Order: sequence, then structure tokens, then C-alpha cells
Amino acid sequence: MTTRTVTIIGFVAVIAALVTLEILGRRKIARIPTVSEWLGYVMRPRAGRAIILAGWLWLGWHYFAR
Amino acid sequence: MTARNTGADGAASERTAGPDQVPLRQDQGPPRPDQVPMGPVHAPPVRPEQAQVRRWPVDAQLPLGARPARNAVIGAGVIGYAWWLGGTTPFSTKALLGVLLPGAVLGVIAYARPPERIPPPESVDVAGFSYWVICIALLFEWEASAVRDNSPPGHPSLTDLITPLIGPHPIKAAAIVVWLLAGWALVRR
Repeated sequence: MTTRTVTIIGFVAVIAALVTLEILGRRKIARIPTVSEWLGYVMRPRAGRAIILAGWLWLGWHYFAR
Repeated sequence: MTARNTGADGAASERTAGPDQVPLRQDQGPPRPDQVPMGPVHAPPVRPEQAQVRRWPVDAQLPLGARPARNAVIGAGVIGYAWWLGGTTPFSTKALLGVLLPGAVLGVIAYARPPERIPPPESVDVAGFSYWVICIALLFEWEASAVRDNSPPGHPSLTDLITPLIGPHPIKAAAIVVWLLAGWALVRR
């Protein structure tokens, strides 16, 4: 197994964990919040809202303008 | 006059005449001259539930599929924009402005004319939220370790793995549509 494969497996594992958390959150298991819930909570203050929107803009610039 | 109308959402609502209108009853035909009041006619007070129904803009309360023509035009515009942006040359001014423009538009909408926002929760469970923080931190750490090594082929960054996947024009355009929709969803939070 190459280091590249290990790296890819690592990314896939973390992303799979994120998807699993979302599924568990939607099923109301272990009081795990969904992405929508914790994003809404983080975006309650104006600073949190600005940071999240800036992150969204950075993501677009990173993948679609470069 | 009291009339019963059926709105776009299918719910019946009552409307009351304005102060410049003469109250009429349809079952009695047109009023006789001696029935027409000479002074100003005051409409009965509007009940709170009626005021809620008549609140402007009424169409803001409509469900998503209530205006298919408008939604189709917006959808076509978003897809067309994503297709154009997906075809721009990377690192070009067009590509940069193409990304910044939606950000500016959403920023103006968010602060000048915010849409009806989805109420955020009062609190989130700390333990449940910590799982998210741990996974996101792991993702960033895994990515940072690759970026620190200049993303060699044996230890690529997530960016270097994703960029070839969104290389084809249609897939890149679809990814841009998802990105735009995510931005709109964030504005509504």
C-alpha cells in the first residue's frame, strides 16, 4: 500500500465520519446536531456569520478561480 | 364589504373594504340612493389574523414551488452563470470576478434585503458538537500536513485530489451550482 493510498484513505475516512455525523444528527441520535443546526448556532453572532460566509467565498475562490 | 378569497396557498382569507369603499352586500343588489352614505365610511377594524394575511410582501410566505416561472428563470440563470464561470481560465481576472460577484450579491442581499431566515437553535449539545469539531480538525490537519510537504504525489492534499475530479466543464459547472446554492443557504441561516 503506497503512501498516496494511505492519504486518500485518510481523507475518505474523515469525510465518511462527517457524513455519518450528519446522518446521526438527522436521526436525533446522541443529541448530535446537524450541519444546519450547528452552522445556524455559529452564525448567530454577526462575527460568526461573517466568518462562515468568508469561508464559503474562500472555498469558491480556491476551487473555481484558481 | 366582506369577501372571501382563496390565496395561492389554498387558504381562504377574508378581505375588508378600504375606507374609500362603500360596504355592499351582494345578496341585496346595488344600493338604493337613500342607502348610500354621504360621509366617510370606516371599515371595520382588521383583526390581527387578517393583518397577518395581508402583510407585504405576501408572496414571501409562499412555498418554494408556488412560483414555477420565476424559479425556472432563476434556476436557468444560476446554471448559465455556473456554466460560464466553469469555462473561465484559472487564475484569470474573469474567474476571480466571477467568484467575487456572487459573494458581493449575497452580501448585499444579506445586509440590505435579508430573506426570511431560518431560526437558529438556542443551543447545541456540547458533546455532540465536539464530534464535529474533532472531525473537521482532523480534516484540516490531514490537509495541512500535505500542504506543508508541498503536496507530493505520495502525500497529496485534498485540493490536488479534488481539482482533477472537477476538471470536466459540466462537473465543474455542477460544483459551482452547489457552491452557489450553499451560499444562498448560508444567507438564510
